[in-house]
Amino acid sequence: MNKTRHWYQYVIIYSILLLFVAISIFPILRVFTISLRPGDNLLNTSLRIIPEDATCANYVQLFTEKPFLTWIKNSLLVTLAVTIIGVALSSTAGYAFSRYKFPGRKSGLLALLVTQMFPATMLLLPLYIMISKLGLVNSFLGLIVMYSASALPFCIWLMKGYYDTIPPSLEESAKVDGAGKFYAFWKIILPLASPALVITALFSFMAAWNEYVVAAQVLWYEDMFTIPLGLKSLQGNMTTQWGMYAAGALIISVPVIIVFLVLSKWLVSGLTLGSVKG
Amino acid sequence: MKKILLIFLTLIVAFALIGCKRTEEGKTIVHLWHQMEPEKRPILKKVIEDFEQNNPDIEVVVLAKGTEELRTGYQAAAAFTGGGPELVYGPMDQIGPFEVMKLKNSDESIIKPIEDLYPEELFDKFVDQGLVRYKGHIYQIADRLGNHLALVYNKKLFEEAGLTEPPKTINELIEFGQKLTIDKNADGKIDQWGLVWNYTEPFWYIPFFGGYGGKVFDENNNPVLDTEAAEKAFQLILDMRNKSKIMPPECDYDIADNMFNQGNAAMIINGDWSWNKYIASPHVDFGLARIPYVEETQMWCSPMVSATGYSVNSSAKGEVLEATKRVLEYLTSEEVQEQFVEKFKSIPSLKSLQERPAIANDPVMMMSAKQIEVGQLMPIIPEMRAAWDAMRPALQNVIAGDMTPAEAAEYQQELCEQKIAAMYEGSEEGVEKRTALASTIFTILGIALGLYFTYLLVFKFILALMRKPNSFETQNARFAVIMAVPASVILFGVVIYPFFYNIVLSFSNMNMTNVNSWTIIGFGQYAKVFAEKIFYSVFFKTVVWTVVNVFFHVTLGVFLAVLLNRHLPGKSIIRVLLILPWAVPEYITALTWRGMFMYDTGAINLILHKLGIPAVHWLSGATTAFIASIMTNIWLGVPFMMIIAMGGLQSIPKELYEAAEIDGASAWKKFWSVTVPLLKPVMIPAITLGIVWTFNKLTVIWLVTNGGQPADKSHILVSYVYRAAFNLYRYGYAAAFSMIIFLILVVFSVTFLKKSQVADKA
Repeated sequence: MNKTRHWYQYVIIYSILLLFVAISIFPILRVFTISLRPGDNLLNTSLRIIPEDATCANYVQLFTEKPFLTWIKNSLLVTLAVTIIGVALSSTAGYAFSRYKFPGRKSGLLALLVTQMFPATMLLLPLYIMISKLGLVNSFLGLIVMYSASALPFCIWLMKGYYDTIPPSLEESAKVDGAGKFYAFWKIILPLASPALVITALFSFMAAWNEYVVAAQVLWYEDMFTIPLGLKSLQGNMTTQWGMYAAGALIISVPVIIVFLVLSKWLVSGLTLGSVKG
Repeated sequence: MKKILLIFLTLIVAFALIGCKRTEEGKTIVHLWHQMEPEKRPILKKVIEDFEQNNPDIEVVVLAKGTEELRTGYQAAAAFTGGGPELVYGPMDQIGPFEVMKLKNSDESIIKPIEDLYPEELFDKFVDQGLVRYKGHIYQIADRLGNHLALVYNKKLFEEAGLTEPPKTINELIEFGQKLTIDKNADGKIDQWGLVWNYTEPFWYIPFFGGYGGKVFDENNNPVLDTEAAEKAFQLILDMRNKSKIMPPECDYDIADNMFNQGNAAMIINGDWSWNKYIASPHVDFGLARIPYVEETQMWCSPMVSATGYSVNSSAKGEVLEATKRVLEYLTSEEVQEQFVEKFKSIPSLKSLQERPAIANDPVMMMSAKQIEVGQLMPIIPEMRAAWDAMRPALQNVIAGDMTPAEAAEYQQELCEQKIAAMYEGSEEGVEKRTALASTIFTILGIALGLYFTYLLVFKFILALMRKPNSFETQNARFAVIMAVPASVILFGVVIYPFFYNIVLSFSNMNMTNVNSWTIIGFGQYAKVFAEKIFYSVFFKTVVWTVVNVFFHVTLGVFLAVLLNRHLPGKSIIRVLLILPWAVPEYITALTWRGMFMYDTGAINLILHKLGIPAVHWLSGATTAFIASIMTNIWLGVPFMMIIAMGGLQSIPKELYEAAEIDGASAWKKFWSVTVPLLKPVMIPAITLGIVWTFNKLTVIWLVTNGGQPADKSHILVSYVYRAAFNLYRYGYAAAFSMIIFLILVVFSVTFLKKSQVADKA
């Protein structure tokens, strides 16, 4: 495919990409600048990235003065659970919706979407009432279930959409060879759907990782806080420790990037026309 | 499969166990929710630790929240579930909204009258304002007084300008301000401002309003905002900015705070919570003064003054109540208050402390007390919320030049009356009798609906799966159901209760006075939504917001994904850099974007300036603020669509491109005939959900426009309902409003999906 590509095409592609990269990281560099400054100033008056009085004090303070490691541990716990549930349940449910006819299929698919349409702020109060009645206040279980529920509709739809692009003839031939339904799904389809699984995992991860509105209602103990909640607690009504806040926000994003880097290996599919013919 | 299930189950159980709250044997737990500023929390932590050491039978669990979250969080816990923390700490104006909410089946408020809890001698120790009384009861014991604005000035800058004293009168304020507003390097840009303050917030407008003799409410608690005082105060603010030019053309809390703290402004009007920071600032030589005297009326400007303190949850009973009382007594005691006083110069609520020479003679506290003398007491009534929400847009309209001071005064009065009426809507006398019929009809309808769903479940679902158990179809269907059921159970288990709760609420008259005694009134709330003209214009804006956002998310996302879908050295680095906007939490990046849109200091204008384009007042115009929010949200949303598209591109077999190439297709042709159709199955769900999420996206617009500024003109439906309904505790109305949003989205998605034919594909 690369035979026909000339050097100037690369120049164009790279310059476009670099422009977008610049736009994408510029605001984040501002956050970085804030995190390096002493004191609690949100506003930058210069375009400098590393301020004159740069210091790492905010990062140090986060780890020494705040139970930051505990927050990270809590967040990881909740997020991993949600990611596992999200991937496991959406890959199976998406498969059912993509391949099989069963009563309630169509309305189920639609209902998945419909659950996303209610303004989330309005659901907060009844959600809290429900959690409280179930005795799930101050437990991670409540959070895990809620986050999974918020991630699942998109994940199921995405998985279903991706399965739709995989020719059914692949499992058919396996089934002809005597393999069970689940076996065909597990051994043949799931590996082919790895790009969608990656996105599903990323999405579930993010749904839990950055959430704080529900967490703020459910968790009453500071040592149970998740990271975003801990970060929010640095924010006062009038006075916010912006330096620490920015530092924390950047630290929060590191695991997301790691997860993305690790997962992006599987963002490549082995799906080719050849596999259909075979 | 069984193995996986087993691992899975163990994991869940393990998570559940780790996550359970632990209670220590034999200890009574007292929860305290507070809204103290971050720098005060270490002291609170320390005094609580001291208390726990001396009282080993009590454990105090402290939770910090923002003022608003604290209020709604406490109401949700106390009024709706009968639980919540035993102690709640906040400014005294939260007493009104708490008192008005009653417990289930009782006339008791969600906070307890405190007067019977302690002997008289305890109350004698406090100054009068330290015991917050409302409707004949003491509902709060304060540990500090103030929370008031005053004039802070930088002595260093005053000396440089040859001034020795702070301004005493408004004329002096303007005169000094002009002397202190300096363009140091003569480049036409002001480098040092005379006065900075958060002049778009009504809390900062109140002192001037008061200085001209204005009061927010009369003796009968009716708003009196359309007065000469209101007009003159508006005019003064406008003149200070436009005529005397002593303050920057655009200013919010952070700009003002930052400028003063950096020594780039000579005076600031700010509250007692901020002074400590200025005292510590190396650029500021701290001086404190009263907000000046208005010669015309011969009155001092009069900021709002409120006590801040502890209230007791009505649900605290028995042993817990006894423990709570001990904690409360301790937290308001001399030994605790003096620690806060020492560090933060707040005015204590105990007589003994106020009289103590070290405190009475402290220059900062003396001046603070002098400012309080001429302050006005913060009204406790819940109507004050409506007044704030009415004054804010009026003030911002004046500042933007969209209304004259006279028009704005009239507008805020009208708006305030409207909002107060809306707060009590539905709880008029005799509502229950009038709505008995509606209530019955809706109950019957509800039961019928429930029966219908049961019928569907049993006959169309369960029985369908029982039929012909050995047939090929049934077995397939059973397999599919088993695959789909776990996800469905979690999802619908979470969603169903809140969903039906909202439907019921949307037919009810629930407001803050009847959270536990509301009735069904029918379609009244819906009619109200549709009767409001503003609904249609906000709806239109929401559509624009959604369409523009999603359009750019998808086109840019797909474009970047296609660019990246080839062999490129350095691709993985570029990819990571491009997803960064998604990875960094939006509550910080959205605020950063807001900072970048600032007129004087923002990066966007600095860059425009370098390109030779004139600077734009992004945040003070309704349209530009809306555009700014859209730009921010586009930036936030592109990476997500890009990732989806990257995944989707993987489902396209390379051979198809090769075949197209052999046919001599151009790159453009290949994109439209191969990429687009094959991306569709993956992108359509993402686009549909993207539209739904964007339509309901509250955070970005709220953060970038600082809650709908200017003048509540940059709202989309969700932020509007938040401001107009949720903020005023109009639960029924808010529920109806969200039902309408919901129905709009349902209708849209069903048509969209039908058109794109994804749902029907087998």
